[in-house]
Amino acid sequence: MEVDLLAVRRVFKDVLSGRITREQADRWAYVVMQKEDAGVLKYMPPGDRECIWAGVMYLYGVDTRKGPNEYLHTNDDVMTAMKAKLGAASETEDAMPVLTSMTGGRGA
Amino acid sequence: MTVRLNSTAEISPLLGDHGGVEAKSERSVLPGSVVPIRPTAQELGEKLSLERLHQIDRAFFGPFFRDKYGTGGDRALENGRIRYYGPVQRATGAGELAGRRYVHEFDTMTGCIRGWHETVDCSGNVRQVRPERENGSVRHYQFDGNGRYEGSW
Repeated sequence: MEVDLLAVRRVFKDVLSGRITREQADRWAYVVMQKEDAGVLKYMPPGDRECIWAGVMYLYGVDTRKGPNEYLHTNDDVMTAMKAKLGAASETEDAMPVLTSMTGGRGA
Repeated sequence: MTVRLNSTAEISPLLGDHGGVEAKSERSVLPGSVVPIRPTAQELGEKLSLERLHQIDRAFFGPFFRDKYGTGGDRALENGRIRYYGPVQRATGAGELAGRRYVHEFDTMTGCIRGWHETVDCSGNVRQVRPERENGSVRHYQFDGNGRYEGSW
């Protein structure tokens, strides 16, 4: 499985736009984390590893709630985190297909 | 045939008469050097303290987990487990709750791994735990400011 900054950014954007749920984003990040632990995750380019991983680890658990019906993080929190974790990549123009075409293994 | 070591000691195995070659000893042309091995703590009759064992565990396993899961710190537990703490992901507008962090626990005895998300308050107390489940479903366990379990959903 390969992952790049644009893929992570796309998940952030999809969460913020409501295209995917936070639970879906959490599961996507969980799969990425499992691939990393299994040693089969490739960072593209490898130099972006730190930013990619920081973004993935934010998305993992982004569905945490502070109460039964309320998420812990507001959308503003998620937006701020995206900018902080992804840096310049968070500002890139959105011209990418939807999440399902690039994960290469959601739910695998 | 002669097996020659890089020391003055030589071993001449008994080969019978294979090939009709008679076994004989030769002196090594290389001078032997003996490096004294530093005695271990056990040989000295010392017992490694638990704290020292934990230090060794943290140093040994750190490279595997610290970069990925322990940027917020790590802690060795007395039961041989090491907990790696991720950074606190800040939450605004969550009242007394400051944010959440992912905790990755590695059992040095079994190699088993488990992880969960902790929600912490502004004083650093863990107020909520959300374990990762095998079947993917999640549940939140809530605690008050004194660590008393309040309930789950």
